[in-house]
Amino acid sequence: MISNSVGIFTTDRDLVVQVWDTTLARLTHINSGEASGRSLTTLIPDLESRGLMKHFRRSMQEGVVEVLAAAFHHYLIACPPQTPSPHFKEMRQRVMIAPLEHDGGIAGLIVTIEDVTPRFDRDRDIAESPEQSLDNNDIVRALDDPDWRRREKVIGQMAQRAAPDAISALLISVRDNHHNLGLLNSALKVLRLSDVDTHSTLIEFLGGPDADLRIQAALALGEQKDERAIPPLMDALRDANANVVYHAIEALGKLGAQEAIEALLGIAESKDFFLAFPAVEALGAIGNPRVAPRLLPFLQDEMLRDAAASALARVGDEFTVEALARILNDPNAPTEMVARALAVLYERYETLYQEGAYIAGLCGRSIRPTGVQNLIEALGKAGVDDLRPLILLLGCVDTPAAARVVTRHLGHPELRNEILGALVHHGSAVTELLMAQLDSEDFEVRWAAVTALGRIRDKRATSALAGLLGKDEELAIPLIGALTSIGDPAAVEALFALLGTSDAAVRKATVGALNVLGPPEMVERVIPLLDDPDPAVREAGVRIAGYFGYPQCVDAVFGLCRDEDENVRRAAVEHLPYLEDERTPKVLSEALRRDVPIVRAAAAGAMAQIEASDAVPCLVAALDDEDPWVRYFAARSLDHHGAPEAASALHGLAQSDKFQQVRIAAFEALWKIDATLAASVANAFSSSANPDFRRAAALAPNNRNGTA
Amino acid sequence: MRFESEILGLPSGTESLLRQLIHDRTGMVFDSGKVDIMMDKLAPLVVKRGFNSFLDYYYLLKYDENAPEEWRNVMNALSVGETYFWREMDQVRALTQTIVPHWFTTHPGKTMRIWSAACATGEEPLTIAMALQEAGWFDRASIEIHASDGSSVAIEKATQGVYRERSFRSFSPERRARYFCPDSSTTWRVRPELHSRVRYSIANLMDEADFAGLAAADVIFCRNVFIYFSEIAITKTVRSFARLMSSPGYLFVGISESLLRLTRDFALEEVDDAFVYLKESHGS
Repeated sequence: MISNSVGIFTTDRDLVVQVWDTTLARLTHINSGEASGRSLTTLIPDLESRGLMKHFRRSMQEGVVEVLAAAFHHYLIACPPQTPSPHFKEMRQRVMIAPLEHDGGIAGLIVTIEDVTPRFDRDRDIAESPEQSLDNNDIVRALDDPDWRRREKVIGQMAQRAAPDAISALLISVRDNHHNLGLLNSALKVLRLSDVDTHSTLIEFLGGPDADLRIQAALALGEQKDERAIPPLMDALRDANANVVYHAIEALGKLGAQEAIEALLGIAESKDFFLAFPAVEALGAIGNPRVAPRLLPFLQDEMLRDAAASALARVGDEFTVEALARILNDPNAPTEMVARALAVLYERYETLYQEGAYIAGLCGRSIRPTGVQNLIEALGKAGVDDLRPLILLLGCVDTPAAARVVTRHLGHPELRNEILGALVHHGSAVTELLMAQLDSEDFEVRWAAVTALGRIRDKRATSALAGLLGKDEELAIPLIGALTSIGDPAAVEALFALLGTSDAAVRKATVGALNVLGPPEMVERVIPLLDDPDPAVREAGVRIAGYFGYPQCVDAVFGLCRDEDENVRRAAVEHLPYLEDERTPKVLSEALRRDVPIVRAAAAGAMAQIEASDAVPCLVAALDDEDPWVRYFAARSLDHHGAPEAASALHGLAQSDKFQQVRIAAFEALWKIDATLAASVANAFSSSANPDFRRAAALAPNNRNGTA
Repeated sequence: MRFESEILGLPSGTESLLRQLIHDRTGMVFDSGKVDIMMDKLAPLVVKRGFNSFLDYYYLLKYDENAPEEWRNVMNALSVGETYFWREMDQVRALTQTIVPHWFTTHPGKTMRIWSAACATGEEPLTIAMALQEAGWFDRASIEIHASDGSSVAIEKATQGVYRERSFRSFSPERRARYFCPDSSTTWRVRPELHSRVRYSIANLMDEADFAGLAAADVIFCRNVFIYFSEIAITKTVRSFARLMSSPGYLFVGISESLLRLTRDFALEEVDDAFVYLKESHGS
């Protein structure tokens, strides 16, 4: 059955030979031991000089299939033909180079070399005879014909016969190379890309006399994602060879064969030592929830329990939760396995129906103290992969012991979502445990404790959290966030004390918190801030006064638009539109023309919030500003106002501003204002090498009612 | 905790733009489970620049004339500085007990260069210096120790040489007393004679120009940094190491950071009880 004309080798990413099959050894007289481990360039020294290397590079870098036609390149590896040729000293070789894919990347190359010398001999010797009978190698040979009409005709003549020799060579090669499915898939893809009907040939092998080929064919069919394989694979469930049946079961699972469910359940229920396990796994892979009730009894079967739990996690419902919890509640429970299954079930419900909480609630009600103890014990010795499901389940049960052990795992940044979820579930029961972690040496532990306390919203934590403000700089923003979330006015004094911080981000967060927690007498606290000698405090005061729009503060905020500190001026300018005062347009216009760049940029941004008739003339003028960020924010504000009079200036900026962000903002605004004019720039954007330009061009039509 | 990051504008797609940009410039990869962390770390920087939107900040990082300066802030914000003295000592022992003696046998009279490529706040290069000191190598041979990190804040701390209790979690009190003196009630300062053994600099491992001089070393320690990198970024960095470092060259990575699938420039060797990637003399 093995073809005598197609050899295969594979390489790694560095073009070092990994697999060199026996056919190729016979064709080239280079045996596997000589070739394996050697670089292709040492094995084929003239690879570069003959211009062939670029095909290998292209396939490796771009993931494309390259074909070296014998008519042009003659051969890849110089060697005599298998049978002496009257015309050619060197074997004529048709070569296909294809990427070997692994984990979404390219792990190397697979190369098929076919001896096509006999066809070249025949072409020279015999007058063309289109009706000539074709042998099994003809399809493979036909792939090489440079004339597509002849190629199509030959393939058409062969119809369902495909290229059994080439495929059998591949299957045998896969078997000989430790069942490397990556190699098989890549190779079959190469053949399919050349219009070879791999499917029919694999089906033929599946029903053939050679058990090895039947196994490999079942394996291959499972990988091909072609539903036509399901009926023959179901026939193969009756194969006399148990290995064939095993691989047919696996293949049906991979193909998601709904029509095979009854047959697979029958095999599973037969408790066949060899076949029941893959049958249960396949039923899980097929993923039809109606099989769940019939899988539940397998949880009592020690041999099938793991497979059944794993399958039920993919198809089960609330009854599965109860059945799995019953196992977990046994003193000798396989805790990690059950936890994994329940976690998968939880995630499936969360992903499909946003009903993870329903499963969590069921778990909480079904897991008994013994089950909790099992989980706690397993957590103590769990590897990284098992921590997640165990913590998830411990978060479902209302037991102080569970809360304590989860708290002890606060320092795992990779589990932060699960740990926080679990702790928040335990609520105020863990407040004191978490407060005890606030002075931990480990930042991750402190961070998680602060975050969890914020989510639990227990006011008992206010004092401890507020006490850390100003002391734990790394945690300042999470602390402010937690205090805001708790919403206890007792935090206000500590927050006021933080307004003078030199860290602008912390200051802004503090202002945000005070805006939420602000006491009724807030305005009286804010007025003195606006006159504080510390510019950081004045800036914070402006932000609070502007947020609330206190009439008592309006004049002071206008006054601070002329403050000596540019950050205070910027904050004042940003908040003017919220004061609803008639002076605002004039003051913003002045700031936009005369102030330093950061204040001009803030004024340009603020102008989005005032009347277009006041803003647009100033913004159009600002498109000529020397500072790119002023131009950028002016374009954004014009985008907001949709001002037609800005179209020409925006068009100019979109075409040729020195700064790319300005061009993008101008283009986006222009698209909203005058799509016809924007279209004249759109081509340049959509064909640009810069992905930000292409993105802007692609999104612009969708953003006509809002900025990108 | 998404507090500031929640109140900033996040136009559609900006998150993935930032993820990609940060990956390209720093090698760090933030998958969907960790992107919140990235955004939380960047949010204060967005606010400090006076922006209200992550998209504006993205453009700043990509196009502004002052972007290089801002990238230093990004590196500082994203860097993971958690480390300690005497960490993963099998590799340091392999260096002092086997690699250094062997190297000086074959390179008599030469200067050996060691580079700690992701030194954080300096615990690793100081550990190497202490181990070499205890093995007596500074008295017998010429050894240079260079150390770098992408975070300027980390390098500033390393240059100050002041450490808190948690840096000494695997360190005996006797050793601490030998190499450090109390600086305050909670901090210790490394003694000048040890501190001066290490030369610190800032270098981004995704920018070969930053570290080309440093990588011309005989030994590179690049531990516990590739766990934050994508495979593409690791491959790029390791290829640069292979091209730039001496032959033979010894590369140490963290115990959970296998390079086997990513490079053929190095051969994995077991030295004493530690794994080391060896760039062999013939350059294979």
